[in-house]
Amino acid sequence: MLRSKLEPNRRSLWQRLHIDPWLLLGLLILMGTGLVVIYSAGGQDMDLILRQVIRLGLALGVMFALAQVPPSFFMRVSIYFYFAGILMLVAVLLVGDIGKGAQRWLDLGFMRFQPSEIMKLTVPMMLAWYISRHHLPPRIWQIIVGFLLLLIPTLLIAKQPDLGTSLLIASSGIFVIFLAGISWRLITTAALLISGFVPILWMFLMQEYQKQRVLTFLNPESDPLGSGYHIIQSKIAIGSGGVSGKGWLQGTQSQLEFLPERHTDFIFAVFSEEFGLIGICLLLCLYCVIILRGMIIAMRAQEAYSKLLAGSITLTFFVYVFVNMGMVSGLLPVVGVPLPLVSYGGTSMVTLLAGFGMLMAISTQKRMMSRE
Amino acid sequence: MNHSTYRTAHHAKKNAKPRLVEWRFVLVATVVVSVFAVLVMRAAFIQVIEPDSLIQQGDNRTKRTRYTQVSRGIITDRNGEELAVSVPVRAIYADPKIVHENGGFDDMRRWKALADVLGQDLNTLRERLSNPARRFVYIQRQVSPAMASYVDQLDLPGIYLRNESRRYYPAGEVSAQLIGFTDVDDKGIEGIERLYNDWLTGTPGSRKIRSDAKGRQVEILDETQGESGKNLQLTIDQRIQALAYRELKQAVGVYKAASGSAVVVDIHSGEILAMVNSPSYNPNNRADAAPHKMRNRAITDTFEPGSTAKPLAVVSALEFGSAKLGDVIDTSPGWMRVGGSMVQDSKNYGPLDLTGIIRKSSNMGTSKLALSVPKEHFIDLYYQMGLVGDTGTNLVGESGGIFHERRRWSDFEMATLSFGYGLSVTTIQLARMYSILGTYGLKRPLTIVHQENPLPAERVLSESNAKAVVEMLEHVTLEGGTATKARVPGYRVAGKTGTSRKAVAGGYGEEYVNIFAGLAPVSDPRLVVVILINEPGGDLYYAGDTAAPVFSKVMAGALQMMNIPPDAKTVSSLAAVQGGKGNES
Repeated sequence: MLRSKLEPNRRSLWQRLHIDPWLLLGLLILMGTGLVVIYSAGGQDMDLILRQVIRLGLALGVMFALAQVPPSFFMRVSIYFYFAGILMLVAVLLVGDIGKGAQRWLDLGFMRFQPSEIMKLTVPMMLAWYISRHHLPPRIWQIIVGFLLLLIPTLLIAKQPDLGTSLLIASSGIFVIFLAGISWRLITTAALLISGFVPILWMFLMQEYQKQRVLTFLNPESDPLGSGYHIIQSKIAIGSGGVSGKGWLQGTQSQLEFLPERHTDFIFAVFSEEFGLIGICLLLCLYCVIILRGMIIAMRAQEAYSKLLAGSITLTFFVYVFVNMGMVSGLLPVVGVPLPLVSYGGTSMVTLLAGFGMLMAISTQKRMMSRE
Repeated sequence: MNHSTYRTAHHAKKNAKPRLVEWRFVLVATVVVSVFAVLVMRAAFIQVIEPDSLIQQGDNRTKRTRYTQVSRGIITDRNGEELAVSVPVRAIYADPKIVHENGGFDDMRRWKALADVLGQDLNTLRERLSNPARRFVYIQRQVSPAMASYVDQLDLPGIYLRNESRRYYPAGEVSAQLIGFTDVDDKGIEGIERLYNDWLTGTPGSRKIRSDAKGRQVEILDETQGESGKNLQLTIDQRIQALAYRELKQAVGVYKAASGSAVVVDIHSGEILAMVNSPSYNPNNRADAAPHKMRNRAITDTFEPGSTAKPLAVVSALEFGSAKLGDVIDTSPGWMRVGGSMVQDSKNYGPLDLTGIIRKSSNMGTSKLALSVPKEHFIDLYYQMGLVGDTGTNLVGESGGIFHERRRWSDFEMATLSFGYGLSVTTIQLARMYSILGTYGLKRPLTIVHQENPLPAERVLSESNAKAVVEMLEHVTLEGGTATKARVPGYRVAGKTGTSRKAVAGGYGEEYVNIFAGLAPVSDPRLVVVILINEPGGDLYYAGDTAAPVFSKVMAGALQMMNIPPDAKTVSSLAAVQGGKGNES
C-alpha cells in the first residue's frame, strides 16, 4: 500500500492537497474527543464549545496553509524567525503584559499573543537548519553552538516564568540534536552535566512556587487543601472512574467542580473519570497512531532538515502528552502543559496544528522536490 | 525506483552514517510506545488497584446526608395536661472563615451588640472565632425567637441562625424527676424523656444527597420521610401529682427531713397516679439542679420497710393456715430469744389477736406468726408481694430492692424479716405490695404509661385473707392505733406506719425513715398512697406523726379528685369537712 502510494505517476487527491490522510484522521478524532470532554468538563456550556470550534477551525486553516509551503522555504526562513522570536521574548520581559502572575503576553494593539508559542516551532527549525548545514553526525562544536541556540530562548521563557513551555522548547531542541546523531558518550556526559545542574537550578533559578510544586508532587498529602489539592483531586477523579468509567457527563468529581482547571490542563482527569481505563487506552492508542505516523514521516523525509524538523515536532507532541498525563496522574510535578488537541485553549492549539502543517508539508512535498 | 535512486544519492550527499539516524528513530518510537505503556499502567494502578480508597475519598467529598428536623412528641398526663412540650427556638452559629473573609471584626459596634444581647464577653467571642480553619462554631443555642431576630437584623457576615427546638416543662419542679429532661440536642437524658426517647423522637427524615464543591445539592440519592415524634400519655394525674408534691414539700420542710417521696397508685389498674420527690429542681432552668435533687427517689432509693411489712406475717400465717382469724397470740413478756438474739416489743402487750398485732405493731406477734410457717413459704411471700424485683414501670434507674438470697435462713432472720428488717425496698415496691392487698390478692405490674387495657393480673393471695388483712389495717388509723393522723374524713382508711432506723456502716444509726403506706376506701379499695419522709430532723420522728398526716391530705385530695364516693357511713359529709379542718388545725 505504501508502495502504491509512492508510485510517481499516481498522485492522489491527498497528495495534491498536500494532506496526510492518516494524520488528519487522527487529529480530527482527537479534536472531536476533546470537544466531547470539554462539553462535559465545562458544565455543558455551548458557548465554550463554540469558541473551541472556532479555534480549531482557525488552527486547521493554519495547518492547511502551512502544508502548502515547501519545506525548503521553512529552511530558508528559519534563522530570521528565530532571531525575531528572540527579540520578541526580550520585548516580553521588558514590556510584556502580566497575566496569571507571569509575564508572557505581548500586546500588539489589535491582539495579544505569546511569543513563547512561536518559539516552539522556530527553535526546532533553527536547530535543524543549523545542524543540517553540515554533515551528520554533528561535530562537538556544532553541538555546543546548538545548545547555546537552545539555551537562550529556554532561559528567556523560564524567566517569564513559564516552566511548561520552556520545558517543551528545550526538549524540542534536544530531540533535534539527538536525532542528528549525537554520540552516546556525549549523551552520557550531558546527562551527568544536567544532573549537576539540577541543584543549581533548585537553588538559584527556580521560583518559590515552582519549588513548591515539586515538593507537592513528591508528597501531595502534605498540603491537601493548598498546593496538593490539584493532584489529590485529580487522582480521586481518575481513580473513581474505575475500569469502565462513570459515563459521559456522569463524573462527579469534575461535574461538581471539585476538580480544578478541569477543562484546560486537568481535562485528562475528567476524561479518565468518565471513560475509565478503557477510554484511557483508546486515547493513548490514538496519540500513539499520530506520533508513529509523525515518526514515519520523519524517517521517510529525504532532506536532513525535514527529517530533523519532523522528528522534533512529533516528539515534542509526544512530550506534551506525556507531561500532561504524567502530571495529572501524579507521576510528574504539576507544570502548565495542556493535553494537546483535547484541552480547551487557543494559542497552543494553533502552534500545534501549525507544526502538523509542517509535518504534512514534509510528508507530501518530497516528490516535487525530487523532481525539481 | 525513482525513490531508491534518490535515497542513495541523499545518503551519499548528506549523511556519512545514515544507519545511525534511522536506528535512532526506531529507538525513539520504541521509547514512545513504552512511555505510553507506563502511562496506561499508572492509570490502571490508580483505577484498578487503588480505586476503592479513591472512590471512597471521592464520595467523602460529594455524598452528604442531611436530616430534616421533626418535632419531639408531647408528654401529657392521663387527662391530656401537658407535662413536656417543645417550643421552637433558634441556634446562632458562625463560620469563622466567612467572618474573616468579610473583614473580621471591623464593624466593632455590631459585634459588641451581638455580644451584649447574648450576654457574652466580646473578647471571648472573638477568641472562639479566631481560627478561620474551623468552619462551624456555635455561638449560642436555644435562643428565643425575639433575640434571634435581633441577631438576624445585626446582619453580621458569617453569623447564621438555625431552627431547633427547646423542651419546656409546664409542670416545673412538681414532676421534674419523673419526666426528666433533654439535652441541648433534644435528646432525652433523664426520666421518661430518656426512657421513651425513641418513641418521642420519632425518626428524622434523612436525605442522602450529592453536593458539589460549593455545597449545593445536585442530586438526591435516597430520601426517607421523617416521622414526627409520637406523643406519650402517662398514667399520672397532674392534679394529684401537684397536691402530693405540695404536701410532701411542706412536710419535708416542717419536719426538717433530708428528703421525701410520695406515690399514689390506682389499685384496680396498677396505674401510677402520682410519683413525686422532694427536694426537686426546676427542669426549665437547671442552674439549681444538683444530682441529689435529680434522682427519682421513689424508684431509686431503697430503705428497710420496717413495720410497713408486718401485714405480710399475718397474711403468711393465714395463707398457710397456721393461724385463723380469731386466734390470739400471747406476746408476753414482750421479749423472747430467737437463736441467741433478742426480739422485743416496746412494752408487754400481753395476748393480742391478729388485728391487735398489726394495730400495736408487735414484733413479738409477727415473729411468732412468721416462725409458725415454713421458711420457704414465708420468703416466697416477699417475692409474691413484689418486694423483690421490678414493679413493671421500666423507669430508668429503678431499683429492684435489696434482698439477700440465702440457702439457709435462721429463725432470727425470719423474725427480723417479719418486722421489715433485713431487706430493702423502694417506695414504689411498697406501693405495689399495698396494691396487691387492695385488690384482695391480685398482682399486676405497675404502669406509668397509659395502657388501653389493664395489664393481666395474677392471683397471689386468697381474696378472703387479703380482705381480712385490709380490715385489720383499718384499725391502725382508728382510736388506739399508731396512725390516727392518717384518717381521712368520710372514708375508711387502712394503712400501716413504719419507723425504721437507717442502717449505717456497722449497724443502725440515729436517723429514721418514716413511712406510711395505706389504702382507701376500705369497703372497696381504690387508691394506695405511700408517703416516705427520710431522716426527719425535728422533734417528730415517728411515722404516725410525720408521714401519716401527709398521707391523710394526699389521700383525701386524691379520693376527691378521682370522684370516689365516701364509705364511712357514720360520718356525714358536713362533718367530714369539719373533721378535715379540725385535723389540719
